[in-house]
Amino acid sequence: MKNINKNSMEKNLEKQYLILVLPGLIIFTIGLIIPLLLAFRYSFTSWDGMSAEKPFVGLKNYIDLIQDSDFRSAWWFTIKFTIGNTIIQNVLALGFAIALDSGIKAQKIYRTAFFVPCLISALIVGFVWLKMFSNVLPAVNDLLGTNINFLLFGDGKTVLSGLLIANNWQWVGYWMLIYLAGLQSIPGDLYEAAKVDGAGAWTRFRNVTLPMLAPAITICVVGITTGSLKVYDLLVSSTKGGPGRASTSVIYQTYTTAINGRQYGYGSAMSVSLVLVLLLVALIQVKGLKSKEVQQ
Amino acid sequence: MKRKLISLILGTTMIAAALTGCGGSGQADNNAPAEAPAEGGDAQEPAAPEADGAGTSEEVTLTVLAGQSTTDAGIEDMIDAALAEQYPNITLEWECVDWGNDFQPKMQQYMQSGLPDIMIGKAQDVATYAPQGILGEIDATYLDRGLDAARENVTIDGKTYGLVYNALYQGVYYNKTMFAENGWEIPKTQEDLQAIIDDCKAKGITPFASHMVDTWSIGNVTMQFMMNDVFNNDPTWGDKFRAGEVSFAEDKMAQTAYQYNKLIFDNTYPETFSTEQTDCDAKMVLGEAAMKVSGSWSIQNFLDIDESFDFGIFPFPNQSGDSKLIFEPNITVMTSANSEHQDAINCVLDVLTGNQDLAVEIYDYTKTASMLKDVTPTFTNPSQSDIDKYAADGMIVDVTLGNNQLVWGGFQEENAKDIAAWLQGDASFEDALAASDARVDASSAN
Repeated sequence: MKNINKNSMEKNLEKQYLILVLPGLIIFTIGLIIPLLLAFRYSFTSWDGMSAEKPFVGLKNYIDLIQDSDFRSAWWFTIKFTIGNTIIQNVLALGFAIALDSGIKAQKIYRTAFFVPCLISALIVGFVWLKMFSNVLPAVNDLLGTNINFLLFGDGKTVLSGLLIANNWQWVGYWMLIYLAGLQSIPGDLYEAAKVDGAGAWTRFRNVTLPMLAPAITICVVGITTGSLKVYDLLVSSTKGGPGRASTSVIYQTYTTAINGRQYGYGSAMSVSLVLVLLLVALIQVKGLKSKEVQQ
Repeated sequence: MKRKLISLILGTTMIAAALTGCGGSGQADNNAPAEAPAEGGDAQEPAAPEADGAGTSEEVTLTVLAGQSTTDAGIEDMIDAALAEQYPNITLEWECVDWGNDFQPKMQQYMQSGLPDIMIGKAQDVATYAPQGILGEIDATYLDRGLDAARENVTIDGKTYGLVYNALYQGVYYNKTMFAENGWEIPKTQEDLQAIIDDCKAKGITPFASHMVDTWSIGNVTMQFMMNDVFNNDPTWGDKFRAGEVSFAEDKMAQTAYQYNKLIFDNTYPETFSTEQTDCDAKMVLGEAAMKVSGSWSIQNFLDIDESFDFGIFPFPNQSGDSKLIFEPNITVMTSANSEHQDAINCVLDVLTGNQDLAVEIYDYTKTASMLKDVTPTFTNPSQSDIDKYAADGMIVDVTLGNNQLVWGGFQEENAKDIAAWLQGDASFEDALAASDARVDASSAN
């Protein structure tokens, strides 16, 4: 009798879970899964995005992708942008978090100041930094009589640096908060025990802080990497993928090819390849970083 | 039981919210998907608005997608005001986007979900969208109020799908005072131009103002160069390009057109890839540069910065010394073939073409030329005397010829990026030419 009740209760709970999951699943399916499947289907066509005909071309789009120098160059920029962001943002965010966790004065003001930029749209950030590099900072140059090259967006060789500055300025505060939360959840006993064992500041950081922060590191690294691989809006308002193609990301290239260039089928092949890379990168990172995490 | 009820309510609410989000708006009827008519488009018989000026007493809201040039933002308020006076029952629901970046994406989106009642783009859009059978034919009542030249490039198989409202002129804007002070004559050949450039440099004047940070400006001037060095000699060059008879890698004239970009780049200020249009125009007005290859869209800035700025325009000299001033039909009104509000659309066309005060207001604001009969802008355009001179000599060419054969989106726009990469030293000239050739499939709208 007890077993029957238990089974019935479990079934009821399962039904409730299903009901709760269903809305999200429906939205996810309509908004993500179906478009993804459609994009996969279109990637085998030469559809222009306008006409009713969607001629099947087999693997041609994927073969063309391999030979497409613009697409390769877009990937190269995206990879450099991603690596740069992942390193700089993690290091800075962790550094700021440690500084704020050390009990310095006016901690809340610093925390707010660092966090505010991430509340601004990336489009605005791009525009702000375009003006900074083109007008404001050169004016400072004139004022101080210095000759520092601030025209970072105007040269293919410096545009990546300019974009990294703009992107890191926006997002460092956000990731800093995640690290800060991680730091504040580390029990003080561990540090005290390490001190008793004679561990110095660096040893405590390496052997206590870092392992205990591993879950936060996983979140930050995966978040920054996947976010950087998808960079688009920052570019639209700042460099428009230029000068030339020097700052054209994969998504930017996909958009201009599919929409402006009326090559929807080819653009779909580009987006499918990006999704595969994103999945692969996220999988490798999560697997690799999870293995380093410790249970509290 | 309580938990079950709550979860059920929660689930139902979320599903309802999701379905509402996915559903159509209250304007679904207006945006009913356009079915492709028979070849050449299925023109409905447009009904002229009634004489009482009201057309119909029924309240109608028309959706408008306006792909605007930099000069156009703000004209929607003028049109709204004029419409409210003449046809108070008609309301326009505007969606204003940047023509260069967003008009085509928006059109693609609406071709899937249903077109707006009215679309405002450029004349070249007619060649892109009319063959899809989605555009309505414009009634002759309104076309007849426009100049005959306005119909040429918006007519397909004898049917006109666009109402061209204004026009831009493109060429080299020059500082008249500076030219007079230095004794420079209007250059007709490349040698003449080079002499001015050399003199500019000798006197510490920047020959050209430019804003190459805007890749569209590179694309724009390249088409100006192509018109005078390529299309003026061979009006079907674009078609031959698609047929494989000519190519950028082999055609010397096309290569020359690309090379002019280098001439500009070598003779402009070093920060051109960081200079936006407004800053560039300001440099021109402030006398920091002698010339600017541009179009009428710069006039608005020139006169806003200094209304007494004296400037003229001449066509960028070509190799044969017979360059023509470039003329571009700009604001072009198109209508949906399947709109249920054709009467109301005609009322809007009536206001646009029949209300001369509105037309003058728009031309004065945008600093552009009229494409309506008997309507002349009242703003002082210092370059008008030059335009009149070239018009009288028959030295004006419509750029739609080139734009229809080598489309902007996906071709000219992409080529401009390669030209920028070449100018920056990130690609070779041969790479830029090869990239243009490789893009041949994207060179046509259809």
